[in-house]
Amino acid sequence: MEKKVRTVCPYCGAGCQLDLVTVNGAIVRAEGAPGRTNENELCLKGLYGWEFLNDTKRLSPRLKKPLLRRSRDSQFEEVSWDEAIGFASRRLMDIKRKHGPDSIMLTGSARGPGNEANYVMQKLARAVIGTNNIDHCARI
Amino acid sequence: MSNSIPEIEDTDLIFVFGYNAADSHPIVARRIVRAREKGAKMVVVDPRKTESARVSDLWLPIRNGANMALVNAFAHVLIEEGLYNREYVESHTEGFDAYWETVSRYAPEEVEDITGVPADQVRQAMRMYAAAPNAFILYGMGVTQYGQAVDVVKGLSGLALLTGNFGRPNVGIGPVRGQNNVQGTCDVGVLPNVFPGYQPVSDPAVREKFAKAWGVDSLPEKPGYMLTEVPHLVHEGKLKAYYIFGEDPAQTDADLNSVREALKGMELVIVQDIFMNKTAMFADIILPATAWGEHEGVYSTADRGFQRFRKAVEPKGDIKPDWEIFCLMATAMGYPMHYSNTKEIWDEMRALCPLYFGATYERMEELGSIQWPCPDLDHPGTPYLYAGNTFNRPNGKGVLFATDWRPPLERPDEEYPLVLSTVREVGHYSCRTMTGNCTTLQSLADEPGFLQINRADARKYGLKDKALLWISSRRGKVLTRAQINDRTNQGTVYMTYQWWIGACNELTLEHVDPISKTPEFKYCAVKVEAIADQAWAERYLEEEYAKLRRKLAEPVG
Repeated sequence: MEKKVRTVCPYCGAGCQLDLVTVNGAIVRAEGAPGRTNENELCLKGLYGWEFLNDTKRLSPRLKKPLLRRSRDSQFEEVSWDEAIGFASRRLMDIKRKHGPDSIMLTGSARGPGNEANYVMQKLARAVIGTNNIDHCARI
Repeated sequence: MSNSIPEIEDTDLIFVFGYNAADSHPIVARRIVRAREKGAKMVVVDPRKTESARVSDLWLPIRNGANMALVNAFAHVLIEEGLYNREYVESHTEGFDAYWETVSRYAPEEVEDITGVPADQVRQAMRMYAAAPNAFILYGMGVTQYGQAVDVVKGLSGLALLTGNFGRPNVGIGPVRGQNNVQGTCDVGVLPNVFPGYQPVSDPAVREKFAKAWGVDSLPEKPGYMLTEVPHLVHEGKLKAYYIFGEDPAQTDADLNSVREALKGMELVIVQDIFMNKTAMFADIILPATAWGEHEGVYSTADRGFQRFRKAVEPKGDIKPDWEIFCLMATAMGYPMHYSNTKEIWDEMRALCPLYFGATYERMEELGSIQWPCPDLDHPGTPYLYAGNTFNRPNGKGVLFATDWRPPLERPDEEYPLVLSTVREVGHYSCRTMTGNCTTLQSLADEPGFLQINRADARKYGLKDKALLWISSRRGKVLTRAQINDRTNQGTVYMTYQWWIGACNELTLEHVDPISKTPEFKYCAVKVEAIADQAWAERYLEEEYAKLRRKLAEPVG
């Protein structure tokens, strides 16, 4: 059974709407949808840009577990979320205590995550860490 | 964008400045073609004969790095020839006298040596622009990625103000944004000087509103650092930790060597991403997130349209949506943060942002797309800004702005005789972790990418089409492949920035615009060297590429 989910292309700022067609929980194709900016049309990236979701490993593998490197010359090791968040938050708080909140820089993501995730990140920067040091690649 | 993407089709004249729609935004390019079919005229300013230039009425082959001089010359012609809209200028703008004082020194005949554009073409372009009942300016990175960028944007707005091309459909100026959600990321306050909804951090009332909503005593008032300042701030010992979310600065930023030094100089690097990438290799901790297709939310289009995107497949692996990861981090840092879904987050933000208040999930569902400003729940959204020609300033008037041209920083010389400009290609995107993992798109182009070079230059440096070559600047040296291309101008070569082996950002420099702090990706001095032993070069390429892929695959197992 085919299922269609209406979404927005994750590539350029034109914001084309498309339908992802899935069979048994896997995407099989993308179809142009009647979005305001694209009116059913799609470019190559809209038509084929979903293939990375199948973890093709053509270029680089998807990340599947938190990875931690205890020192810069050691290897990455898989850790639990508890350990990953515990490690990162402790180190952030140590640095904040030692060097102040403005010694921490954050960059948001203008790609797949979306507005809500970025809103939460800037709230983390401003309300929790206490810095306005947050920016993203609009500048580059 | 002041106006909307669909309006491009219904304008009378499209004025393209430093923007290659066919490669950057194919769907916008189709709008341009349809506008042409409906009879719109088109003028294109670009050093390369892009697809837009090819199908235009008039192509002005500007010399790289001369934007401000040409924009001033445009303004000069509009005023000197009396082509501008006097009534509009009197009613809706200010600063005319100072403006004329500057642009009067830029007669197109006087600046031919700088712009490379024959004066009569400059005059003809402005006669066409001023004669059009409605004209739409489209610009891109060919404007913004220079050491003098913001000035040029204001200069282009000035042309639209002089001719009264604002405040109604099918006019205005449009920077078509690069990444899918670069508009949205600005909209929600991921900028060092504003909260969500473009509310300044320097405003005490705004800070108080957000502090109250977020349940904290106070919020920082000093604007933060900008991304492109990071390398030297690390060097000065001011930055110690870097939390990088869904970006790959070790591939996409200027002067990669200095980026790598900055990453190494940090005491803590946190990377939150969907793929292993070059930046993640410098991380202390990597947090795996769900990708587009596996989560939901709202993106903003380049023309300010909020649109919902949805989950189509279940994520695989022990990974989490980005917002959940931030909530865990905040909670672990002593600030309990919890949301049940993205709608809760959106509603919290909406309530704090008058510009977006009426754009609810339900209304987006119903309307498909809502363009901000959308201040209340029955507001239809705003396809074009500045209705009634009222601008976002206390007196409502638009400012005519001109300033002198500044040349690019690193001019070609004997040792590095060519200019390098970084550009886009149609099949790949940004740092390429997404498109490079799409089988169909990967088949369009692969390492090490291409160097677009004019036939005469290729002959001069002994380069054959498709041959591998070395290209270097004062900052680095990479392998790339010649693509002899008659659409490019002599003296300048072009590379796209997503390649690992042919990484053009090893060569680019950190020189930035003083306001936007955007680097001058469009201009640095380079040299090219032919490689005699092509068989060796092909082997070297394959080995290096395989080595890099192995290195990135290793940590994931």
